[in-house]
Amino acid sequence: MRQRTQTAYGFLSPYLLIFAIFWLWPIIHSFYLSFLSTRRQPWSFNPGMTWGRLTQDPAFYNALWNTLKILAIQVPVMLTLATLLAVLLNSTLLRARGLIRFAFFAPVVIGEAAYAAVFRLMFNDEFGIVNKTLEGIGLDAVSWFSNPTAAMSLIIIAVTWRWVGYNAIIILSGLQSIPQDVYEAATLDRVSPRQQFLYITLPLLKPVIVFCLVLSVIGSMQLFAEPYLITNLGGPGGATETLGLYLYKQAFLNLNFGYASAIAYTIAALAVSISILNLWLGRERS
Amino acid sequence: MGSVSLEGVSKSFGAIKVIHGADLDIQDGEFVVFVGPSGCGKSTLLRMIAGLESISHGSLRIGDRLVTDVEPGDRGISMVFQSYALYPHMDVTENLSFGLRMNGNKAADTSERVRGAASVLQLDSLLARLPKQLSGGQRQRVAIGRSIVRKPQVFLFDEPLSNLDAELRVQMRVEIARLHHELGATMIYVTHDQTEAMTLADRIVVLRAGHIEQVGTPLALYTDPDNQFVAGFIGSPRMNFLTGEARGHVDGRQAVVLSGQGDAVVEVALSQPLPSGTPVSLGLRPEHAQVGSPGPGTFTTTIDVVEYLGATSYLYSGTTTKEPLIVARQGVHTDRAGDQVVVGVPPDKAILFAADGTRLR
Repeated sequence: MRQRTQTAYGFLSPYLLIFAIFWLWPIIHSFYLSFLSTRRQPWSFNPGMTWGRLTQDPAFYNALWNTLKILAIQVPVMLTLATLLAVLLNSTLLRARGLIRFAFFAPVVIGEAAYAAVFRLMFNDEFGIVNKTLEGIGLDAVSWFSNPTAAMSLIIIAVTWRWVGYNAIIILSGLQSIPQDVYEAATLDRVSPRQQFLYITLPLLKPVIVFCLVLSVIGSMQLFAEPYLITNLGGPGGATETLGLYLYKQAFLNLNFGYASAIAYTIAALAVSISILNLWLGRERS
Repeated sequence: MGSVSLEGVSKSFGAIKVIHGADLDIQDGEFVVFVGPSGCGKSTLLRMIAGLESISHGSLRIGDRLVTDVEPGDRGISMVFQSYALYPHMDVTENLSFGLRMNGNKAADTSERVRGAASVLQLDSLLARLPKQLSGGQRQRVAIGRSIVRKPQVFLFDEPLSNLDAELRVQMRVEIARLHHELGATMIYVTHDQTEAMTLADRIVVLRAGHIEQVGTPLALYTDPDNQFVAGFIGSPRMNFLTGEARGHVDGRQAVVLSGQGDAVVEVALSQPLPSGTPVSLGLRPEHAQVGSPGPGTFTTTIDVVEYLGATSYLYSGTTTKEPLIVARQGVHTDRAGDQVVVGVPPDKAILFAADGTRLR
C-alpha cells in the first residue's frame, strides 16, 4: 500500500511542483509582500504603507464602491434573467433547443478583446447601433463613455450579456433534475403554472442559484476585462474602476506590488465572506 | 357521484396508437385495478383519466360530468404516483396542505383536513419531517394523504407500491384496502403485480397492447378467462398450456390429443363440438393437475425441478421444452427431480383455447 502511495505521488509530482511554484508560492509570497513598502528600492517592512493605506485611500474606496455597485445590480439582474432564460430553454414548445442553448452559451467562449471591441463599436457615441436606435425611436443619444452612470450601465450590460447564458445553462441543468411528476402532482392539486414556478421551481433551484451566485460574486470581485477594455481603464475618471482593475494598476502600472498584494488579499477576503454569507442564506432546510 | 365512464377512448402518440377505443364503466365506490404487462397502456389510460395525457378520441365522464377536455385539477380526481411525487422542500404538513393553500382554502378547514388525513394514515408524529427524513412506506402514506385532503370523487393510484420492499408492500396493500373501506370512494389502481390486483380489486381490467382484454371480478378472471392471454396473465404460477388437437365429442366432452405429452388423450367439458383435427391449446391451472395413477385422461411426465413451499410443492417438468408444465401438489410429499409422475386432467377444470387464443366454450 505504501509503495502504491509513493508511486501515485511520483506521478503527481510534476503537477505538484508546478502547483507549488506558480500557485502556492505566489499566494504565500504575496501575503509577505503585502507587509512591505515597495514603492522604492530597497523594499522595507512597512504595513502602514499597504494595509494602513487601504483604510484611507479614496481611490481604493471608489473601486470598492464601484465593484459593490456592480455586484448589487448586475448579479441579481443577471441571475433573474438566467433563471427565466433557463425556464424558456427548458420549454418543450421551443424549437431548435440545442442550437438556441449553444447560442446563449457562445458569449463565454468568445475572446474578451473581440467582445469588448464589438461593444465599443455598438455603444459608440456617434455611430454606434445603440445610439442610432435610441435616436431612431425619438430618444436622446447617450454618452456611454463619458457619462459615469452610462459607463457603469454599459459595464453591467456587457457583463450580463457575457455571463447570462452560462448561468442559464447551469440553472437549466438544475431545472432538468426536478422530477416531472412533482409538477404533475401540483397540476392535479390545481396549482397554477405561476404558483408552481414560485413555490416549487424556485425553491428547488435554490442550491443551483446559490452556486451561480457564489460564482458570480467571485467573478464580480475579480472584474477586470470589461472596465479595462470597454471603458478604457475604468473611465470616465475612475467611474468604472473596479477592485480588479485597481489592483492591476497598482501592481503593473505603478509597480507597487506590496499595496497590490494587500488589495488582492482584501478582494479574496471579501469574496470568501460574501460567498459564505450566500451559502449560509441558501443552506438546505433540515 | 364518483362513477367513471370511458367511451371509445383512444390515445395516439403521433402515428403510434397506444390505447385502442377503450370502453369501461366504473361504478361509484368501486375499486378497479388495471393490470397488464409492461407497455400495455395501463398507466397511460390512468393518466388519461387524470387529464395528464390528452384523449385523442372518445369521451370520459366522471360522475355526471363530461370531462374529456377539462383541466386535470378540475376533474375531481387525485392521484398517487409511483415515485410518490412529494414536494421535497416541504415538510409533511406543507405537502398535505399545499394544494389547498394555493387554492385559497380557509386555513381552519385546511388544518382540519390535514389533521384528519394524518390521523387516518398515522402520520401525526411525522408532520414536521421532510420527505427525505421518511421511509418509503411513510412517503407513500404522505402521498395518499395528499390525495385524501382534496376529498376527490375518484382516487387514482399509479403503481404506488412498486418501490417498496415485499413486507411493506403487503402492509400498504392492507392500508389501501382499509382506506377504501373507510372512505368508500372510487379507486382506480394500476399495477403489474397480480397479487395486488387479486387482493384489492372489486373488478380487474386486463389490458394488452392498448386493448381491454377482459373486465371482471378477480375470481371470474381466474376461473373463467375470455382468452388465453388473460388465462396466462392471471394466476401464479401461471396456467399450463398444452398443445393438442380435437378428436371426438361425446356427452358434452371434447376429446383432445396432447401432442406434447406423448399423444395422451384427455377430455374437456365443452358445449360446442369441435371438428376433428382442430388445433387447440388446453389450459390447466397447476392446482388442477392431479398427480395419480395411470389411466384414461392421464399422461406421464418427468420432474425437472421441485419447489417445496411447505403446504404446497410445485413440480416443474418440460422446462427445456416449448411446453413446460407446472403441477401444484398439496401436502408434504417426497417428489424429487428425475421422478416420473402421472398427471390427470379433470375434464371440468381444464379449458380450451382456439389457435388464435380465443376461449372455446
